[in-house]
Amino acid sequence: MKELLQLAWDALLFKHTAYTQHVARADALKRGLILLVLVTLLGGVISLIINVVDDLQPMNLEAQRRKTEQAFQGFFRSWEPYLDLPPDFNPDAILALLRPGMETGFRIAQLPTRLPRPVGTLLESLGGFLSLPFGRLAGWLGYAIWVLLIAKLLGGRATVAQMLGATLLYVVPHFLDFLGFVPCLGPVLWVVATVWGIAIYVKAVAVANDFGIERAIAATAIPALAGMVLALLGLLVTLIPILMSSR
Amino acid sequence: MKALIRLVWEALFLGEAPYAEMRASPKPALRGLGLVALVAAVVALVGLVGTTLEWATSPSLPDIQQVVREGIEQMPWYKEMEGNPQFREQFKQQFDLAWRILPQLFGAPNPASAAMRIVILPLGLALIWLMYGVVAYLCARLLGGQGNLGQTLGCTALAVAPQLLNLATFLPYLVVGGVVGTWTLLCRYVALKTSHRLSWGRALAATLLPYVAFAVVVALFACLGGVVLSLIVGGGTSR
Repeated sequence: MKELLQLAWDALLFKHTAYTQHVARADALKRGLILLVLVTLLGGVISLIINVVDDLQPMNLEAQRRKTEQAFQGFFRSWEPYLDLPPDFNPDAILALLRPGMETGFRIAQLPTRLPRPVGTLLESLGGFLSLPFGRLAGWLGYAIWVLLIAKLLGGRATVAQMLGATLLYVVPHFLDFLGFVPCLGPVLWVVATVWGIAIYVKAVAVANDFGIERAIAATAIPALAGMVLALLGLLVTLIPILMSSR
Repeated sequence: MKALIRLVWEALFLGEAPYAEMRASPKPALRGLGLVALVAAVVALVGLVGTTLEWATSPSLPDIQQVVREGIEQMPWYKEMEGNPQFREQFKQQFDLAWRILPQLFGAPNPASAAMRIVILPLGLALIWLMYGVVAYLCARLLGGQGNLGQTLGCTALAVAPQLLNLATFLPYLVVGGVVGTWTLLCRYVALKTSHRLSWGRALAATLLPYVAFAVVVALFACLGGVVLSLIVGGGTSR
């Protein structure tokens, strides 16, 4: 554990030897995965506590109803300037239409369960909390295989395990997500962690593939740029017929 | 048994050593089959525990169905239509039909289905492994691979390792997501690269070509199905 924390610290400080020693290890991927799980769970622990405490309170149906309606009104107010609505439009009419559906939801939430309800509530929160690393894992892996491919095309020499083990170090700055619940500070720290993580990712790609930082930047950025170009093309293909037909 | 578990655990981390060990072992295909069946059975068994816990902490489906029906009956559009007996009958039929299909589609916890997976998952994974292994073997040989069919099957069986992530579903409400599929792809790449001693580019092609082949076969069958269906419908209307 001490060794892992030292690796995390050195990765944050971009110490070159820490990266090379990590990549050279046979268990680089395993160590990277442990870091991902620990950092992600640390980031979600406060939310877990808040959710569990909140969910274990006895359900006040009237308060819940008020909260949901206020959330709908808040959502509507934030979108109102962007919507082209008639002047006599009444949001309460929409709310009245939604109310039976909301009531159904509240009634289902109060139905009896085979095990005591707090057990289910606790397991649901815990399940959501422990799903967090899998979500991050899917996002990271989905991107990393494209970076791996581009790096190989650019002459990279990393094996799959080395590349994945190295790029997992990107997760370390995300320990800052732990403070994500703090208003204003949370989003700022998220941006800091993301930028820091990208810089670590580029350094890790360079070290694992034994090439310069320019090629590492290219390998890291090309999949994102290609994704953006494809998304733009997709948008154009969708929009052009709509625009043509509106003429 | 212990050796198989160690091998599949090491294969998960994508090092070439466990794949090379499988390639060198006697009867790798048979070992592979045992491995696939073992992992699938354990994953399904663990899934049964998670599903049962989720089922035990959820309200019963008939209770939910009743509440939803009553909720719909309170909606203004339903009240407008309920005077029509034909509508009431049709609505009841469609609601009951939807209720038989939709909960299964949206993953409502069902211990009976989860128990059936103890048989279905090993069979399904073994079939997929066999089909992929044979096609990947042909592709790898075409690309200059040096492994035999047994070695290919043995090594690609180790690509079942990412299924181990599904052991986390012991806990209900936990979502593993799409990571298993991507990870399996990487394991297959390492398996073919190691078993056939291919360069990275050829190993990548050998890994992806079976997917392309399966997609083409599925598309062909879909087209064929479409043609047959249109002939039947066309034949029926022309009479």
